[in-house]
Amino acid sequence: MSGTARTPEGAAGRAPVEARGLTVGYGGRAVLEDVTFAAGPAETVAILGPNGGGKTTLLRALLGELVPLAGSVHLARPVACVAQSDRTRLDFPVSALDVALMGALARGRWWRRPGRSDREAARAALERVGLGAEADARFGALSGGQRRRVLLARALVQDAQVLLLDEPFAGVDQASAQRIVALFAELRAEGRTLLVTTHDIEGARAFDRVLCLNRRQVCFGPPGECLGRAALEATYGSEIVVLEDEGGPTRAITVQHHDR
Amino acid sequence: MPSPIDALELPFMRTALAEVVLLGAAGGLLGAWIVLRELAFFTHAAGTVTFPGLVVADATGIAPQAAGAAVALAYAGGVHRAGARRHDEGAATGLLLVAALALGVVLASDLLDAGAGVDRLLFGTLLGLGTGDLVAGALAAVAALAATLALGPVWTASAFDEDGSRALGLPVRRADGLLLALVAVAVVAALPAVGALLVTAVFVVPAATARLLARDVRELLGLGVALAIGEGVLGLYLAYWLDVSPGPAIAALSALVWGAVATATAIRSRGARG
Repeated sequence: MSGTARTPEGAAGRAPVEARGLTVGYGGRAVLEDVTFAAGPAETVAILGPNGGGKTTLLRALLGELVPLAGSVHLARPVACVAQSDRTRLDFPVSALDVALMGALARGRWWRRPGRSDREAARAALERVGLGAEADARFGALSGGQRRRVLLARALVQDAQVLLLDEPFAGVDQASAQRIVALFAELRAEGRTLLVTTHDIEGARAFDRVLCLNRRQVCFGPPGECLGRAALEATYGSEIVVLEDEGGPTRAITVQHHDR
Repeated sequence: MPSPIDALELPFMRTALAEVVLLGAAGGLLGAWIVLRELAFFTHAAGTVTFPGLVVADATGIAPQAAGAAVALAYAGGVHRAGARRHDEGAATGLLLVAALALGVVLASDLLDAGAGVDRLLFGTLLGLGTGDLVAGALAAVAALAATLALGPVWTASAFDEDGSRALGLPVRRADGLLLALVAVAVVAALPAVGALLVTAVFVVPAATARLLARDVRELLGLGVALAIGEGVLGLYLAYWLDVSPGPAIAALSALVWGAVATATAIRSRGARG
């Protein structure tokens, strides 16, 4: 099974994230078909596509929450999942530190109570995402961008090798977005694999690879290959607006995206 | 107004007092997880579905706790199989509640001599609580405490963010199943004192009140236990004084406290917003 697996940078064994001929859906009905890609250590992948294009579905399939209708997936653990923040409850009685500490549950045995070293790791992780001063703030009282950073801190405490992030930039203020981008670069430098769904086509240029989905895989490759006019139009159809395409790189934005 | 000291001279009141303290401990602890996991309706249903089982047990001489536990655990197992977090099951649960009540009443009119038994099964009793009930209450309290210590962090994490917790490698589904089973069993332990219809007075309302005030899970647990025991003891005294079943007395008192706290916090947060 591993004979043909892509092993970037000479690393032994399979790539941390891999999908081959993957088809997934709900209730036997396929919503995403024929996805084949791999992401190696220290590799960042931006996942683009219209709403309903299958981005979140792909993450759920990688996590094993959806059983493939065809094909296979492989995901190295430990893995961290930062879901769209609206899926966490804002009235929940936990502080930013409490949430970051949840990452420690994955490190030891889950019935072990977090100790002092866990607390220190959680505080350090909050410092690293720029929220050291907000450690004791109630999670729900933080801004959307700050909440996303707290969930990233949880992934740092967990020391995950693979991070799956579902639209980490949606509804995030500029300061948080910059902090998140900088953190992505650090995590990549540490050899971690990042899969990030996004609506931000321009932002996707900073990633190593781009995976374009529109109910099936449209393109997987370096940004120069997958962010050209043809690939973007195949991905987004009428949702795309190409702003400028004169000699330089294609500049494009999507319209019609809703805020989920 | 009878003196509380005099009330405690009565052996059955001492037994009842010990029982509501034990149930308050179990209810306050499990209640925290019930409100965080949004299992209030499940808890109510787990109590009510036992009613027909209790009627049959009462008429045939089977141990009521065995019959109640069998029905409640079967219900919990069914909910777990269907997926505890699916909220679209409200209608199905509602139908089940109606069916359980109707079946219980029909069975009772056939099997029991008079309506008095039905009252006791639905709303609990002060008289006739025995050592067996105290043992059941103590077991529920100990189990709730042990599970809270062992599984609290996992329950907190998975209630906060289920997908993220699964990615963390936490045993989300098994922890969920254990919570459902524990609630079902603890509810059965509470049936003799508060009755099949009013178990939420112990397992949901105090924790829901604590939820309005608590800043973290630790406070939610502590405050929930304090409220559940305090409301249980005071409700018991009211039941004795007014000569009503303890279930309705505790439920009415708990609901009043919840209403007062909810109103106060609403006024305070409006004030804070200016």
